[in-house]
Amino acid sequence: MYPARRIRPPRGGGSVSTMLPRVFATLLLLAVAATAAAVTVVTPARTAEVFSRADLVDLLELLRLAGAEVEFAAAAGSYTARGGGREVQFTPGGSLAVVDGRLQPLPGPIRLLEGRAVGNQAVAAALLAPLGWEIAGSVPTGLSLTPAGNAAVVALSVVLEDGATVVVASGPAMLPRPRPVPSGLMLVYQGAIRLAAPVTPQGGLQDASVDGNALTLTVAPGWEVTASYPLEEPQRFVVRLGSSVPAGAAAMPRVGPLVVIDPGHGGEDRGAVGAGGVLEKTVTLAVARLVADRLRAVGLEVRLTREGDETVPLRERTALANRLRADAFLSIHANASPARGARGAETYYMSADASDPQAAAAAERENAPADNGTLGLILWDLAHVANLNASAQLAREIQDRLNVVHGIANRGVKQAPFVVLTGATMPAALVEIGFLSHPEEGQLVSQPDTQARIADALAAAVVAFLRGASAASAGAQP
Amino acid sequence: MTWPRILLAALLLVVGLAAAAMLFSRSRSRPEPPVEPAGTPAPTPVPAAIVLFFPGNDLLLHRERRLLPELPAATPRCAAVVLEELLAGSQEGWASPFTWPATLDAVFVTAQGNVVADISPPPAGHIQGTATELGLVYAAVNSVVASCPGVARVQLLFGGRQIEGFGHLDLSRPLAPRPDLVAP
Repeated sequence: MYPARRIRPPRGGGSVSTMLPRVFATLLLLAVAATAAAVTVVTPARTAEVFSRADLVDLLELLRLAGAEVEFAAAAGSYTARGGGREVQFTPGGSLAVVDGRLQPLPGPIRLLEGRAVGNQAVAAALLAPLGWEIAGSVPTGLSLTPAGNAAVVALSVVLEDGATVVVASGPAMLPRPRPVPSGLMLVYQGAIRLAAPVTPQGGLQDASVDGNALTLTVAPGWEVTASYPLEEPQRFVVRLGSSVPAGAAAMPRVGPLVVIDPGHGGEDRGAVGAGGVLEKTVTLAVARLVADRLRAVGLEVRLTREGDETVPLRERTALANRLRADAFLSIHANASPARGARGAETYYMSADASDPQAAAAAERENAPADNGTLGLILWDLAHVANLNASAQLAREIQDRLNVVHGIANRGVKQAPFVVLTGATMPAALVEIGFLSHPEEGQLVSQPDTQARIADALAAAVVAFLRGASAASAGAQP
Repeated sequence: MTWPRILLAALLLVVGLAAAAMLFSRSRSRPEPPVEPAGTPAPTPVPAAIVLFFPGNDLLLHRERRLLPELPAATPRCAAVVLEELLAGSQEGWASPFTWPATLDAVFVTAQGNVVADISPPPAGHIQGTATELGLVYAAVNSVVASCPGVARVQLLFGGRQIEGFGHLDLSRPLAPRPDLVAP
């Protein structure tokens, strides 16, 4: 006879019989979580489980499943995947890959997670595409890897800037021919293409669609294509979208010379900060307005790249001058340096180093029609090299006068590949009117009387330059 | 067998299964430790001199020669060594061109032989003035080109990204060295 079962009184929060199912359920969930951090990947040869977290997936495992040989170079901290005679190099922590020796932006970063190089599906697609594979499906539902067809893969990167959307098309070895279409811009490649990943509407880019060898970028309402140009190293094609051109910004018939004055920085970009909190963007705007007043007083047409405290991208500044076909472009800045003793004015014109095909390509977008290609580049290059001498003369006129204002030894005219200079297709100079970081000079250049003297010097320099250019032009007439 | 004992046994079974699954999962998908390609012969250390450039108060770049016990012949490693030395700062009292705690994150070499170096980005608004920019960028460009044979141009990335610049210099492409910025 069995003894009667004793009923134990409840202890604490509950009996063993009530707690154990809860613990059981918790452990079951943990076990599921531990094994569920993987996504099923199907290839023509096999099915495998690949590490994943959220929308991130182990990139090395995917590459190996695609048959790639993956090596790690400790010296460079980068991985190299080889397959099908092609090579993709990438570094955890970066958003770039080197594909067959050419730098290529990735649609997202490669991260290190639990000791693995991981990225989202778009990144995986961009790494797999050069090796001849395409990826479909989704994380965590499941992915499939299949050998790609013969279509070249185009990766689109979209960068949003203030007032602009920059679309970079990369991947194919050949450059496309751009053709304006009512909806935006069509990039026509030499062979069939496909997109590495679907494109979601961003900024001024409403859609991107592929039909055979044509990629159509559809521009959102209120936006327009402001520039399109090729870039090298790596070979890419850049399409810049901006808000519709404001009234009056288009080239207008004019009778006299036009000068575009660029007050450096502005808006969110405050530039250098001087002693007492003086902001470069404030100083440059004040001086630019004074220069404009003086030039208008002598009958010149003047446009400012910004009228107030607003953010204007660097390339938009020269784009305005190029669109207006200005006769001279002057960018006004104030300098800063960790060397507290640094003082004086400096004037720069375009670096000779920047007078190369890359710079030509970078600036060609502003002047040449989008589809006249090589001829446009050659004409631009000729014009730009010719502008070097004129830019040097403009810089000298400015520097000579500012040396007098500051009463110090000549710091000389210099060359540098500044963005606003390499993009200009007219005589252009960038002037640093003084060092905000210098305790005395920083205070001086923020004072109205000093700014007026600097503006006098700059305006006189521009007038002298234009007169000299005009005389030279007249002398050259038969 | 009583109900609690059954539950206890089930619990132990689940714990065991979970542990086995986790161990199996980790051992199966753990990445292989990064290793150099097998068969690569160990290079013989050869002492070498490099030339670094640091900005001075005169806003020019000043040479600092440094003897290293070894300078790798491979361009990416050479450039990495030179840039690490530059990031470590001057041994002769020159100011560092990197005015934030910068690190070198990666070095590539393009098919054209240009070095692409990825440096951790400065805080927003940290780089001020063309003088600062010129000192920073050309200290790196001049140092790599002067010390690593075969390198003609250097492009700097910041935070793994190609940037237009810090407000002045066009950093969207490789830059050639600037001897004119070097003090005589």
